[in-house]
Amino acid sequence: MNAPIQAPTPPSAANKLKSTRMAGKLVNDYWEMVWRAKEEGKLVCWYEGSSINPFLEAADIVWVHGEAYSAMLAARHQEGPAQAAAEERGYLRELCSYARTHLGCAVNNQRHRNGSDSAFADVPADEDISAKLPPPDMIISAYAYCSTGQQWDEMTSRMFGKKVPIFNVSIPWIWASGKDAGYLRGQEWEETSKYVAKQLEEMVKFIEEQTGKPYPWDRLRELMRNVKRASELRLEAMDMCTAKPAPATLFDWSVSIAPINQLPCTTDIVDYFTNVRDEVAERVRTGEAAVPKEKYRLFFDGIMNWNKLGWLAEKFARYDAAVVAGRYTHMAFWQEPGLINPEDPVMGMGQNYLICPNNHSSPILIDLIMGLCEKYEVDGIVFHATRTCRAFTNPMFMIAEEATSRLGIQTTMFEGDVADESFYKDELLNTRVEAMLEAIDQKRMAVV
Amino acid sequence: MKKHVMGIDFGSTTAKAVVLDMQGNIVAWSVAHMGAVSDAAVHQAVDDVLAQAGLEQKDIGRCVSTGYGRRMLDIADKNFTEITCHARGAVAMVPEARLVIDIGGQDSKTISVDANGLVAQFAMNDRCAAGTGKFLEVLARAMEIELDEMGDIAMGAKQELKISSMCATFAETEVISLRAEGNSKEDVLGAVHQAIATRTLGLVNRVGKKGPVVMTGGVARNKAAVHYIEKALGMPVILPKTPQIAGALGAALIGLDDYKAELAESGESLDEDHDVDAQMAFDKSCVSGCKGDPVAAAQTAPAATSKLKSMLGNLQKHF
Repeated sequence: MNAPIQAPTPPSAANKLKSTRMAGKLVNDYWEMVWRAKEEGKLVCWYEGSSINPFLEAADIVWVHGEAYSAMLAARHQEGPAQAAAEERGYLRELCSYARTHLGCAVNNQRHRNGSDSAFADVPADEDISAKLPPPDMIISAYAYCSTGQQWDEMTSRMFGKKVPIFNVSIPWIWASGKDAGYLRGQEWEETSKYVAKQLEEMVKFIEEQTGKPYPWDRLRELMRNVKRASELRLEAMDMCTAKPAPATLFDWSVSIAPINQLPCTTDIVDYFTNVRDEVAERVRTGEAAVPKEKYRLFFDGIMNWNKLGWLAEKFARYDAAVVAGRYTHMAFWQEPGLINPEDPVMGMGQNYLICPNNHSSPILIDLIMGLCEKYEVDGIVFHATRTCRAFTNPMFMIAEEATSRLGIQTTMFEGDVADESFYKDELLNTRVEAMLEAIDQKRMAVV
Repeated sequence: MKKHVMGIDFGSTTAKAVVLDMQGNIVAWSVAHMGAVSDAAVHQAVDDVLAQAGLEQKDIGRCVSTGYGRRMLDIADKNFTEITCHARGAVAMVPEARLVIDIGGQDSKTISVDANGLVAQFAMNDRCAAGTGKFLEVLARAMEIELDEMGDIAMGAKQELKISSMCATFAETEVISLRAEGNSKEDVLGAVHQAIATRTLGLVNRVGKKGPVVMTGGVARNKAAVHYIEKALGMPVILPKTPQIAGALGAALIGLDDYKAELAESGESLDEDHDVDAQMAFDKSCVSGCKGDPVAAAQTAPAATSKLKSMLGNLQKHF
């Protein structure tokens, strides 16, 4: 019998970087390592928010970043069982979907391990990786800006019977108060930097208590040398995207978040970003575009909608729109490598935690975003109003107003979410983005 | 050369069609209400408008669609979003407008328009249908009245009540509770319209409150909605005679531009409209302060003609 005739798959409009394909393998290898942790007799730490993983990796503790696991599940479209388990446990849909998905993993983990619920007592199906996370031996809470982050850690602790030791690092909000205040400067900046660094030193003592071994500072220095170099290479490659047409887009940088933020800080991440930088440089040299018919350049303000990463990359490319920069990709994840002194890394690490893009007061935040919009010469901003992350969404109207009044560029906003695709409706995005592009066209014609 | 263009607004609850002649005059318009994104409604609107104009589909030189179902129409040569089309249509109806409030069946939008009649900024409701025609439909059902009666009844409100939820489902519960407490239909409906006005004000503030304000879309025909929105804005709202066809009119005007640009590019005579400058003057009549005076246009004819040809060329490339 003849095979049914299928409609041809339309060719991809987005010309993604080839070098980022390696990220998939690195991410898979990392999670395999996490899933094996208990078999290998390793301690496991659960944490959210700030990338404290080098501290843990140096001490041979397996690290589980909550958002990363939720994002991975969403990107693989395997978030359903975890989210269902969390809702069944009573966590509302309005709770941060990163937290909800991760808490659902904790629920499933407990059910499978304890057999406490007959409906869930069976060994999980291979495709359900929500229960595969090893339970935590410790929790470290080090979350900038987001109040849910700390509550999430507390809820996780309860899920595991309040028996898991917790250490809290308080990362204060940067008010930009005082006449000398500004980005990376002023008395407030100096004081908060010292405040966080001191707590990180205390955190190291906590880690020593858990491992029962002196902390291996040399190992941390070695890891941070790799992080610093990887970050420099990442920023160098991003800077090259001021070229027209842009050689890479926000979607390439989104794929590259895991290597800079969460994967083992070995020379693998340096190699990864060296390859990315080289490919971007080659594209600039040959004029190869990430969006072949680049007609518009956009800034994306919002966390990535992980269920829709490839979908959005394709969608914007089909609009001939190169999304060249974004708050999430360009203003986070070791974005100030110059602050890191590998020989004495703690202060610089704390400072990078402090400059989480949500943790600035509005004047600094808005100046940084306007600066990126000018640098990358964008025509407009697309705001992803993340339904379950109001922290990221709160300043969006102010940013939009400034973009209009200061830069005279168009903005539009669509609603979606980081890990719960039920909050995303395609038609809403289509209409809003198309209307913005039509307005950009009108404006261009008016100045001819 | 064909002598007419058509605009179709394939909306969420109604379908609208407009036919224009080559001077941009409305020859015929039609509104059909047959349910959500209904093929039957759009065919009815198109058939009706063609019958009124004494035309057949083959007589239409350009057809542009807008609205929720804009991509579903085979007869449309091109499609544009509701934002672009409503702005264009509203400014054509009320040239001095600087802010357009459009409340349709499923969405509400505010559009600030610059001095050239172009979209400066816009905002739309999120995926919730709060404050839209659908919201009113649900609450009319809960109150057991006809949708068309709603505005008149609400205008009789004497007491200020509050509907705190804008979710249609929760608001329905609140409405039933308020009625159960013995409040009159008039007062409860007054509160419903007040809630819509509050929601609309939020959208207006996102693009910047400025006037003159024009209101389009089906809800503009509801006098209580207009009354409460005026009160919330603190300024009058201008209502075109046929507010619900603004999107279709805008689509038709964009189609007219497109068709003329194509004819100009191909060197075909515009028959009844040889003077391109005159058409430019007509287009400018949508712009506040511009009288659309062909004489004034003629004084700078060589430069204006040259610039116009350049613009038409750009339009052609764009569309």
